[in-house]
Amino acid sequence: MSVLSKLKEAVICLRAGRVTLPYPATARPVPEKFRGRPIFDAAKCIGCAGCASNCPSREILVVDLCQEIRILQYLGRRCTYCGRCADVCPEKAITMSHEFETATNCIGDIRQRLDLFMSTCQRCGRCFKEPSHLEQLKQKGYRFDDVQNERWVLRSQAYLTSEAAVDDMKIEI
Amino acid sequence: MIARERLNQLKEKFGPAIQRADLPGDSRLFVFVEPSALKAICQHIFRDLDARYVTSIGLDDRPCSGKFLVAHDFAFDRDHLLCSVLAYLPADNPKVDSISDVVPGASWAEREMRDLVGIEPVGHRYLKRLVLPDGWPDGMHPLRKDVPWNHVPAGYDEEREFTFDEPPEGCMVVPFGPFHPTLDEPAHFRLYVEGEMVRGCEYRGFMVHRGIEKLAESVLTYNDIPMMAERICGICGCVHNVTYAQAVETAVALRAPPRAEYIRTIMLEIERLHSHLLWVGLACHIVGFDTLFMQSWRIREPIMWIAEKISGNRKTYALCVIGGVRWDITPEVRAELRQVLDKLEAEWRAVVAAVSKDKNIQKRTRGVGVADMTLVKNIGLIGPVARAAGADIDCRRDHPYAAYDRVDFDVITEFGCDVWSRVVVRMKEVFEAIRIIRQCLEKMEDGPLQVPIKDELPVGRIGVSSVEAPRGESHHFVITGENNRPHRWRVRAPTYQNLQAVPMMIKDQQLADMTISLGSIDPCFSCTDRMETIDLKSGVTKVWSQQELESMTRRGKA
Repeated sequence: MSVLSKLKEAVICLRAGRVTLPYPATARPVPEKFRGRPIFDAAKCIGCAGCASNCPSREILVVDLCQEIRILQYLGRRCTYCGRCADVCPEKAITMSHEFETATNCIGDIRQRLDLFMSTCQRCGRCFKEPSHLEQLKQKGYRFDDVQNERWVLRSQAYLTSEAAVDDMKIEI
Repeated sequence: MIARERLNQLKEKFGPAIQRADLPGDSRLFVFVEPSALKAICQHIFRDLDARYVTSIGLDDRPCSGKFLVAHDFAFDRDHLLCSVLAYLPADNPKVDSISDVVPGASWAEREMRDLVGIEPVGHRYLKRLVLPDGWPDGMHPLRKDVPWNHVPAGYDEEREFTFDEPPEGCMVVPFGPFHPTLDEPAHFRLYVEGEMVRGCEYRGFMVHRGIEKLAESVLTYNDIPMMAERICGICGCVHNVTYAQAVETAVALRAPPRAEYIRTIMLEIERLHSHLLWVGLACHIVGFDTLFMQSWRIREPIMWIAEKISGNRKTYALCVIGGVRWDITPEVRAELRQVLDKLEAEWRAVVAAVSKDKNIQKRTRGVGVADMTLVKNIGLIGPVARAAGADIDCRRDHPYAAYDRVDFDVITEFGCDVWSRVVVRMKEVFEAIRIIRQCLEKMEDGPLQVPIKDELPVGRIGVSSVEAPRGESHHFVITGENNRPHRWRVRAPTYQNLQAVPMMIKDQQLADMTISLGSIDPCFSCTDRMETIDLKSGVTKVWSQQELESMTRRGKA
């Protein structure tokens, strides 16, 4: 009985043939919908900060330098490539690329910084009209994140403490 | 109205001790009771009404009601009813009678409650610290609302050592883990061995806490949490993602559109396919049969690719948001998925035909790691472990969610109570999963993927949801809160219950069978250890190995 099983198992193995992929020499192409590293397009971005408010990892920071200039910084350190930013972006300025080999020993390689020129409406920038769900639940408008120390500032906090938060990630560059 | 009937039964027996009840539907029952009567009521539900114990939840409700809240969740599987028994405790002295002597499976949940919320289970016989690291100062409870999420407690004592229990007379101690070739994740078992026979063990885990629950209650928002929830587990991530979304949806009386429900069902079953194939491979690897390990994983690979095609990732599908799903199943993917399933079914049939007669595997697994019905009942075992002991429970049928009420499938049960039966259950469940996906593809109707949410989600509603993960029932308990985030979110992963039975399962067995017994519950320590507020980056694990080394050298000197 058991010999028969062994034979059957041998047949399974022989039928399978060779399946090992030659990675990393050649990578298998990823499907169309693959969620790789998000790429921010400064030309399309209107600076609505919807991505920053919806990022589960809090890896997109926004600060307004003055009335006209808004800095949007994507850090990518603990980004999980969930694609929520690309979902909520009203201008489709964020695309989930097909890049997945993003290992680096310089974290700055993944960082993207957008210097955005905002139109002069002081209240809302060029305010975006969000088409779909959860409209009421999202924070909109001006944000004040701590770009220098690379951390997301909770809405309830009205001021910035000088020392770095305990959980800030320090990566030697 | 089975929920009403059960409530009347309780009212008849306990009368004034039942303060109020909430029946949001026929499948949920929330009973608020006097804390003094909590134990008696739980005993009645568990023993006389024969409900299955699910989990216990402690909650710091002081910002809302000025009190602490404790909840014990039970499931009436035959009645399709999930029941929570809740009691408010005074803020100055949160103590509650422990139910662990009538419901042994509640032991861990009560210890966790004591560690994290500071609710004292009076009468608990084994109040050793479970979740918090050993150096954590006493009286500091991280899940209390007055503790910030990024708080680092003063007085963290790195030198404080963990005290192990005394081994029984005449037994040697064999440490197993935290790093061991057959353990994929860190956990420590201190085995008491008499010759080759294991006489008992002490478990020490919770080494990979990430503080996800605390983050959810203080930083994340409703739609951020699904993406974090699926990172609770690398294998059954989508389960947590869906369970959370469903718990919130039941709390706020929201229903995902039918197409979204079908897609959720399909993704959950795809996940079950990949998990079961992975597990069969791993189990073979543990017993030293690497041929099948390789083949099983080869057969599994197309499933990962189709998942990648649907969701954009092999794992962590990022599927749900509150009120729907994010990814559609297009006609092309649908056709391809059918092909993948056909090929998988044929290949798996060949494997099952070969393995089910293989004497070598059976010799290693028959009569090993026995968990019988008594253990299933007492500890509240779930999933393939329970079904291999003849317990006919499956959340997909008993507490239908998503589109499971619209598909036809069998619940596989075996009666061997041992590891072999668990292998058989899992191997057969693969075919059921294929059946379910095929039916979903057939029946899936067109329509929207998400329901638009027009109003703020209401505050203070309770929602529970149970989803049948590949390893067993995954249970989420949510109380909605202000600031667009839950007030309390408690995750009970299947391994949390199943792991508690391991000491009983390996008792009086050969030491060599320990690994497959443990492997047979498909343990997932990251699910179990899901929460803690200290970061691994602060060096807890590193400190531990150092400390252990130090104490070893010290002992060597003495």
